[in-house]
Amino acid sequence: MRHGKYPFIIGFLAVPVALYAIFVVGAYLQMFRLSLTDWSGYGTFKDIGFDNFVKLWNDEVIWTALRHNGFLLLVMPIVTIAIALLFAFLLNVGGGSKGGMTRGVWGSKIYRVVFFFPQLLALALVAVIFQRVYGPDKSGMINGLLPDSWEPWLFLADEKWALTCILIVLIWQAVGFYVVLFSAGMGSIGQEIYEAAALDGASRITLFFKITLPLLWGNIQVAWIYLGIAAFDAFALVNIMTVNQGGPNNSTQVLSMQIYLNAFKYSQAGYASAIGVVLFFLALSFAWLTLRVTRSDSVEA
Amino acid sequence: MATVTYDKASRIYPGSERPAVNELNLEIGDVEFLVLVGPSGCGKSTSLRMLAGLEDVDRGRILINEKDVTHLPPKSRDIAMVFQNYALYPHMTVYENMAFALKLRKTPKSEIDRAVKEAAALLQLEEYLSRKPKALSGGQRQRVAMGRAIVRQPQVFLMDEPLSNLDAKLRVQTRSQIASLQAKLGVTTVYVTHDQVEAMTMGHRVAVMLDGVLQQVDTPRALYDTPGNVFVAGFMGSPAMNIKTVPLNETGAHFGALNIPLTREQVAAAREGGDGKVTVGFRPEAADVVGESADALPIVVDLVEDLGSDANVYGHADLPGGSERFVVRTERRNMPHMGETVYIRPQTTALHVFNAGSGIRI
Repeated sequence: MRHGKYPFIIGFLAVPVALYAIFVVGAYLQMFRLSLTDWSGYGTFKDIGFDNFVKLWNDEVIWTALRHNGFLLLVMPIVTIAIALLFAFLLNVGGGSKGGMTRGVWGSKIYRVVFFFPQLLALALVAVIFQRVYGPDKSGMINGLLPDSWEPWLFLADEKWALTCILIVLIWQAVGFYVVLFSAGMGSIGQEIYEAAALDGASRITLFFKITLPLLWGNIQVAWIYLGIAAFDAFALVNIMTVNQGGPNNSTQVLSMQIYLNAFKYSQAGYASAIGVVLFFLALSFAWLTLRVTRSDSVEA
Repeated sequence: MATVTYDKASRIYPGSERPAVNELNLEIGDVEFLVLVGPSGCGKSTSLRMLAGLEDVDRGRILINEKDVTHLPPKSRDIAMVFQNYALYPHMTVYENMAFALKLRKTPKSEIDRAVKEAAALLQLEEYLSRKPKALSGGQRQRVAMGRAIVRQPQVFLMDEPLSNLDAKLRVQTRSQIASLQAKLGVTTVYVTHDQVEAMTMGHRVAVMLDGVLQQVDTPRALYDTPGNVFVAGFMGSPAMNIKTVPLNETGAHFGALNIPLTREQVAAAREGGDGKVTVGFRPEAADVVGESADALPIVVDLVEDLGSDANVYGHADLPGGSERFVVRTERRNMPHMGETVYIRPQTTALHVFNAGSGIRI
């Protein structure tokens, strides 16, 4: 074993750690450094202390973006988890337990595959597809289906609804993965437990809330954190789909979009880094809070 | 107060020709402790699950208290089941596990509390009520599973090999506890096991199954003394009965030089479809070790099991059909040594004679 030890460590540990250190940790450190400068993205820069953060605090657009991220953070995980749980339950247990095996609703094997399809598409493709779905005139897929006498819906061009349109795509894209995650979790709950509950007189609804849900708590916790972090991002969809990258009138503006715009459009790389620092700490405290808050409720199953 | 009736109940799994349970007819009386026993895959668990409603009944009917429950869902049958792996709810405490069914029935809180405390006292679980199943030993989990069944005061208890996950000593202990508990509560019980010792010691009556077919149902005593066919004879009792198929003549069965006399009626019945042979069995304790004699069977000893109280002697005899293995029980002071030849003589009063063709008792 002695001989094989070092090549093993170098191959499997050192290389990934080095890559991670350079491209993740290194990038973060640079970001922290740059957030204290006035760098434009080119040429030289000088330190300006916390000026970027002061500017950030007084920036209306940043606060709007933050509100939108907050909205996504509140709604997206809850709705996605709820839908995914419902589907997973229907696919695994919803068909009742006739014939000794609890099983999913009719055709559940096909649904399982279909639900996962969105996960196979690149996010950019999803964005392009839904741009066509949401087309604000008769060429849009939804508007095309509506009766001719109706005024076409504006979707992404409507300040009031644009962010909701993005939210729906985010959920549509994420559900399939969590259906699979929760299905696996449900599969690890013993058949006998469902049978015991059936004998104890549990209906399908009690079964879901009293047995399945508590036993899946660990999975849900993980899903919540993943989805929360996804809600802090949402960059690809906003960048490709929305009017004027975050419009109309900043109604779909999010922090990640602001970073991109400041860094590459407005030539304010230092300022963009400052937003990045804020986003970093927001996501970190969200994950920490979620773990703290849900820990007491979790089950040692 | 409940009776259970299987009326030609069959279960045929989809894609299988042979029924897992084939036209099972069984009447279980009120307050009776009936044990379903058989080798694995014989359909005993399936039969129990059909009664529970966890398994479809493809043909025939199942009645509880004269009421047809064949197509009722499990929760409408008023039964409680103890599973092999206990199936405790891992996220609930012992108390919540036992209270779950009552809560679902909207029983008043005070009554739930009383029922759970009572069951806990009965099963010595009082100090563990606030623990989760994970923090319990195997025996304690088993008792919680029993408690969960008891608090519901069901019409029928169903138990699916509830002792098979316990170690040998605890199994023997719990065996007697379950039997006395059942007597105390007076609830009709159907108990599935593959262990014939459990069946013999616990059941008021025992139903022996093989390949989905009920072989015999009777009291443990009667099953042991008058097994209805060759399979039951070989299955009940440990060590197993010596069962040999040997040539038949006018007066009896030929064990080589030894002729075991049979009555005229037995010979006549054995002739039919027996192809000139007869199957004769005798239990290890129903044979005497005698001195060298012409009317005894010489056996070369292969192995002696000293059980403390007595000893099992395993050996083989060369019969015309080939070498056959025998086992007899002897007192310890007569214990032979390995390789020695002993002479055994089956007690003619304790012989079991079966038709060699059909395997049915004569």
